[in-house]
Amino acid sequence: MFVRIFKTALLAGSCAALATSALAAPLVKACAKDGQFVIGFSQANNAEPYRQHVNDELTAAAKAVPQFTLQIADGAGNVNTQTSQVDNFITQKVDLLLISPFEAAPLTPAVKRAVDAGIPVIELDRKTNGDPGKDYTAFIGGDNFKIAQAAGDYTAKTLLPDGGEVAVLEGLPSSTPAVERLNGFKDGVKGNAKIQIVAEQAADWLPDKAQTAFAAMLQAHPDIKMVYASNDMMAAGALLAAKGAGKQVKIIGTDGLPGPAGGIEAVAKGDWSATFTYPTGGKEAIAMAKSILLNCAEKVPATVTVDTTAITADNAKSMMGN
Amino acid sequence: MSDNKNTTTVPATPKKHTDPLALIVRFQSLIGLVLVVIGGIIFSPRRHGVILFLAPDNIANVVRAVSETGIIAIGMTFVIITAGIDLSVGAILSLSSVVTATMMISGGYGLITTILVVLLMGTMVGILQGFISSRFRLEPFIVTLAGLQAARGLALVVSGNQYINISYGEGPGLAPPIFAVLGQRLFDNVVPVATIVFIAFAAIATLVLNTTRFGRYVFAVGGNERAARISGVPVSAIKISVYALTGFASGLAGIVHAGQFNFGSANDGTGYELTAIAAVVIGGTSLFGGSGSMVGTVAGTIMLGALANILQLNNITPAMQLLATAAIIVLAAVLQSLVRRREGLVR
Repeated sequence: MFVRIFKTALLAGSCAALATSALAAPLVKACAKDGQFVIGFSQANNAEPYRQHVNDELTAAAKAVPQFTLQIADGAGNVNTQTSQVDNFITQKVDLLLISPFEAAPLTPAVKRAVDAGIPVIELDRKTNGDPGKDYTAFIGGDNFKIAQAAGDYTAKTLLPDGGEVAVLEGLPSSTPAVERLNGFKDGVKGNAKIQIVAEQAADWLPDKAQTAFAAMLQAHPDIKMVYASNDMMAAGALLAAKGAGKQVKIIGTDGLPGPAGGIEAVAKGDWSATFTYPTGGKEAIAMAKSILLNCAEKVPATVTVDTTAITADNAKSMMGN
Repeated sequence: MSDNKNTTTVPATPKKHTDPLALIVRFQSLIGLVLVVIGGIIFSPRRHGVILFLAPDNIANVVRAVSETGIIAIGMTFVIITAGIDLSVGAILSLSSVVTATMMISGGYGLITTILVVLLMGTMVGILQGFISSRFRLEPFIVTLAGLQAARGLALVVSGNQYINISYGEGPGLAPPIFAVLGQRLFDNVVPVATIVFIAFAAIATLVLNTTRFGRYVFAVGGNERAARISGVPVSAIKISVYALTGFASGLAGIVHAGQFNFGSANDGTGYELTAIAAVVIGGTSLFGGSGSMVGTVAGTIMLGALANILQLNNITPAMQLLATAAIIVLAAVLQSLVRRREGLVR
């Protein structure tokens, strides 16, 4: 309580000071080692398993910091709902806002309102319009292109050094991650001229659509040796299709989700060849929140790119514990 | 015949009865809204003694968030009073947002033309659905289910599978800056423009429903279609008009959506039909037709928004939010059913 009153007093009194000495001032005036802080996280859509995984990692990381209380709001894949939740966080005057915007342009005004209200905004995994470090505090996320490129590279060098026919299952058409992952994989397999991409189909991130699509691909191209799925759920669908057709096909997933339905366990069981994690950035986000709220950072990196981990037969079992 | 005559003039709720239960049902959403607001005040987090729930900014957030589904629910009230249903509203909203964005950004059309075309398009889609349903005696559920698919498909075609961002300015490829006003707040940055559209539309709709012959006919068709037909109500025309109204409302909501979020998307408005139907039912309008209230719908809409708001302010999980909404819908429906039984309306 004391901290909050203190903060308001400081905010009221120091607007002019902030304008002149912006560089020397901490990002959040009320920062304190022993303060109590509320972090609001506006999630795009809890219904996606990957986003649930983000919530879990973020919750775990926040629990480790006793000064932090994390509140998660589910935008339910609806820009209107997510906007109102961001507005609610502003009303509550949370000390820091984390957001994975469902779509960029519609959430941009809400993020601006938060920034205008003096709340530092860290964008996780997806961006709104504008530049990190200027229009909002920072962006933390993976690089879809690089992750898929790593998968393509692994395919070209390790999985199919002698080449062969390859299929690709794409995410929801016209969505940014789907396009980036498709292009990244294609770029990665370029290194091996004997690899031929014979089929690519959109399966909208969904296992049932992936199963149908990959079954049809196997009918049309019985010699397919390997399939790259742009997320774990579609890789699971591809496995069902391969089993149904009685074929041994190497499968690579993306995301590296934990749990019985996730990619890590599928690789450990030997069902898939590999999956490439799409890092949640949860730990990194809480670390940045610590430096802003507890350590009174004056500046944080505008963009933090979290690297992917290749999960193969070598490390899948040891990763399962995590 | 005297009975038939009576049916055509039956008002929103039976006047003869002074059944307390009927009174509660008549005002159930207002009572519910008051209860939610009281609950909101009691359970609201406070800062420096200020009740956050009642802060002007927060109330503005609540009424802004419900404005799109509210506009749709108003149209839906007419349809449900005729014992119909319209599942296509969310899809028409998305089609309208896409057409709005496309016309202004790649079409180079002006603001007025765009708005008129989109409202006309929504209305025409509604008329088409009403016509098919009434001409071929098909359940509106089926016709509007098909309409939902068709509108989403059209939205994908028009948008070319892309999100269409709306940027503002003068010249080709830019929308008139005045359009962005839909996403802004007036009067000291408090009253959201989207809410003003919602409330104005609600006021007009209330007048139309309660004071015009058209309104009386809508009740008559829903109360007893055969009797209405015999006593000279143009039943088909009324049925087609109510779907025209939901189409118009969805078009309007689509324009508001595009203005608020600066884009048009074929994926938006999913599930809005269900939120709107929930608001109408909570508002005391019977799915069996013949009775209903516009004020109830508005109160039901705001109540759902206030409930979501207070739960989030207290950091209660979305799961609880769904469960609470479910409980309220069931409660509203049970109350209605009890009243129908008392009045001997249940066969």
